[in-house]
Order: sequence, then structure tokens, then C-alpha cells
Amino acid sequence: MAKLKTDRPTYAVDAIPSDIKDAVFLGNPMLDNLVSSMIAMGTELWATKRRLKVVEALMAEKGVTNEMIEQFVPSEAQTAAWEADRDRFIDLTFGPLANPGTTGMSADFPKRGNGV
Amino acid sequence: MIDRRALFGTAAGAAAMTAFFRERAAFAKSPTDVELRGSIGRMERLGTLDLESQQDFTLGFRVWQARDMRRTSAMLLDQALVEQGIDPKASMTYAEMLKIAEANPQINLASRTWLSNQQVTWKTLQDYFHANADMYLAEMEAADKVGPGALELHPDMNVPEYTRHEIHIQPGGYVGDPFAGHIFHYGTNSFYISVLGHNEQDQIHKKVAAGMTTPADGKVKRILDMGCGCGQMTAALKERFPDAEVWGIDIGGPMVRYSHMRANDIGIGANFRQALAEETGFPDGYFDIVTSYIMHHEVPAEKTIEIINEAHRVTRPGGVYVPLDFATTGKLEAPPARLHAMWWDHRWNNEVWSVSYRSINFTDEIAKRGFKAIDGLKPLAPQFGERNFVRV
Repeated sequence: MAKLKTDRPTYAVDAIPSDIKDAVFLGNPMLDNLVSSMIAMGTELWATKRRLKVVEALMAEKGVTNEMIEQFVPSEAQTAAWEADRDRFIDLTFGPLANPGTTGMSADFPKRGNGV
Repeated sequence: MIDRRALFGTAAGAAAMTAFFRERAAFAKSPTDVELRGSIGRMERLGTLDLESQQDFTLGFRVWQARDMRRTSAMLLDQALVEQGIDPKASMTYAEMLKIAEANPQINLASRTWLSNQQVTWKTLQDYFHANADMYLAEMEAADKVGPGALELHPDMNVPEYTRHEIHIQPGGYVGDPFAGHIFHYGTNSFYISVLGHNEQDQIHKKVAAGMTTPADGKVKRILDMGCGCGQMTAALKERFPDAEVWGIDIGGPMVRYSHMRANDIGIGANFRQALAEETGFPDGYFDIVTSYIMHHEVPAEKTIEIINEAHRVTRPGGVYVPLDFATTGKLEAPPARLHAMWWDHRWNNEVWSVSYRSINFTDEIAKRGFKAIDGLKPLAPQFGERNFVRV
């Protein structure tokens, strides 16, 4: 995001930017970008799911307004259940990234029973 | 308005919270106070449900990443070491470790996922506050002028280069974004939960403040919290010592503004000053307790020495000096897994000065400068060094 423009006093000074945004870990910037995209997608998807949970919870009550949705606070039990579901969601969507992988590609791929 | 009593299931919990909010209500709030979605306890809810949910996701992802991805990384690093005939428990240098670790794609993927998640945490927060800048800046302007605590800003002071880095890759760092305090406060909840536990209600800071060492004569009239960040430790100290004059200082103007606003908003009369820890501006021997909470690994080692000297100057004889930060040995060699974690923090979390910090034995340096260690006291939090000192 560009530096904030405002006429109000901010008490901020120029910072020294980190070089992190250009970091390439995966040998090809596109792969890094793909992972970043996946995480951003996960963030948005989770926000959507969480909003739906609020709506679903409120639907059990009478009359649903946007204000009610914004002000809704989950119970301890709901929070615990939602957190568990969040962790399941993360495990499902990102769990494969933690797979160390041991089977080679193409020519190294072992032949199956039919010889292919 | 949220019925806060409904948040707490037990009668005792409800009674405690009712008392808390009665106390809080005793302080007149600014008419420009921005609290769009109420508060949960002492944490104001973020301005939209989506932003709150985005933070919830990145928090959960960070916990998963620290557990599963890092476990895989550690296993693969050990495996690579064994394959090369190296004992995984033997000490090695950063260069030796990196040569092995960075050759492994899975370890690199762990770094990538961690970094991308951290970037989303900061970006979503910064985008929100910038999109609503006028409203939140107006809130701070109004809060600047009211108490119960005092606020001292020094917009013309020199802000040294070493303080201007984007620590934790937080955009703008501690000094460069008008909402540095807001962004830091909300963003670091995920830091705590993946290491020490929940801190949304300042639980960690309150626990540390509750265990804070006090002078042998029991006199605690003034307390200084150096590098106070968003003011959580300062507030917790004021709560433990309500009759004391408690000061939090930080070089970040936006940080002390937020600290002041937030402390006043929850009815805590702590004072905040924009100042460097090595140049606090307080008189000699002014304080009974001088402390800091994980500040020193954010400054160069030579500044840590200057800060110890300043702490000695402003602590009264018999007063205590309790700087909290990670344990250091002064040696940069360590077993590979530990070394990799430290490197990761330094390089990819942009902890610019963490290696410099670890290059000295912080505890020994304090003991050389007019302080005497108090025997038999443990660190106030896990992984912290034993640094309970009395000023000679």
C-alpha cells in the first residue's frame, strides 16, 4: 500500500523497507507467488466461511439483520468448535504442503503391475 | 451494544466482568472514540467481521505452520545432516547450517508459507486502517488531549536509523506508519498464541507484571517500562502498582499515541513518552523499578550497552532493573535446528538486530555496570534470561 496521504499529524517518520517482498524460496518466483496466492485465498475463504457461520448461528434466532451479524459474538463452545473447524480447514487445504514427498517424477516413477 | 455479560458463562466470571466495566465506565470516553463493533473484555473488536476473520485465519495458520511445517522442516534438516555424516546435535555456524538447509525444497516451502501468511496478517490490517484513516486519526487526535494518563510526543526529535527497520516485516515498522500501534497490537496476538498462549486480554503481560521483582525495601513509587510498544506491559504494571507513577517510553510516535489512547480507554492511568531507551530524559535515580519487555533483541548490541548505562542512571540505589528478553550466551554457534530457527527469525522475520543481540551475554553485561544479580529468582517467562538485578 502506498504511503498514507493525510493533512492530520501522524507522528510517523520514514522507515527502512524490508526486502522481504522480493524473496524467492522455491527456485521460481511464480511458485512463490502461487503459494502466496493460496494463502490469501485461504484467508478470504475462511472469512467467508466464518461469516456464514455467523449467519447460520443467527438464523436460529428471530429476524436477521446485518447489524445483528456484525455484532454477533460466538459463545465459548461455538468459538471452540469454530477454531477446531478452522484447523481442520487449514489442515485440508494446506496439509499437503507439509508432505515431505519421497516419490520421484517421470522417468524415476516406478512402473505399475501392468508394466506402464 | 454487545451484552458483555453474555460472553462469560459463569456467575463469577459475569460478576468480575461487570465490575470491570463499571470501573471502565467511570472514565469519560471521548465523543470521537471509535468502537464500531464493541469490545471483548479489554480488546476492542476490529472494525469489520471480515477483518476479524482474516486475522483469525492467519492466527490459525501460524499455529499450524509452527507445529506441522516446522516439524517437517526440522526432521528434514536432521535427515540431511545425518546423510552428510554430521551429528544433528553438534554446534555449527550459520553459514554451515544454511548450506544444508537451503538446499532442501521443503524447508524453503516452510519459509515461504510462514512469510506469505505474515504478509497477509499485516496487509489486511494496514489496508483497513488506511482505508479508514481519517476516522482513526481523528480518534487519536482527540485521545491525545485527555487522561487520566499523560502523553508526551516529540515530533522533532531525531529518530535513529537503527529504529526505522520494518521489524517482524510490519509495514512501516514501529515508527513509519501512523497506525503502527494498532497494527502491532492486533497483529501480534498470533505471535503470542503460537508461543506463550492467549494475550488478547494482556494475559501474558499481566502474568509477567504479577511476578515483577520489587525493591527489598518495598518502596515502589515510580516505574519505567522501556520500549513499551503498544503499552500492554506498562498498563499491566500500572494495574499491579496502582499508586505508582508508571511510564512507558518508545521511539515510535504512533506507538505511544496508541498506548496512551488504549490505556485511557480501559481506565488505566499510565503515562507515555516518545523517547529512546538510551536517552529517557528522566532525572537521576528517579525510578524504583526499571524494566523492558522483549525490547533488547530489537536494538544493536552497542545500544543495549548504552541502555544498561541509562537504566543504571535512572534507577535509584536499591531499586531493581528487570529487563526481559531472550536468553543469550554471547555465542553464535548452536545445534543446527536451533540455529535455523534463529536465522529464520533474523532473516525472514526481519529481526534485524537479533544476531547482534545474541552476540553478547546480556546478563553478564548488566552485572558489569553497577547492578548486582538477585539470587534465586527465575525468569518471568519461558526462554527469557535470568535478569533480576538490584542497583548498587
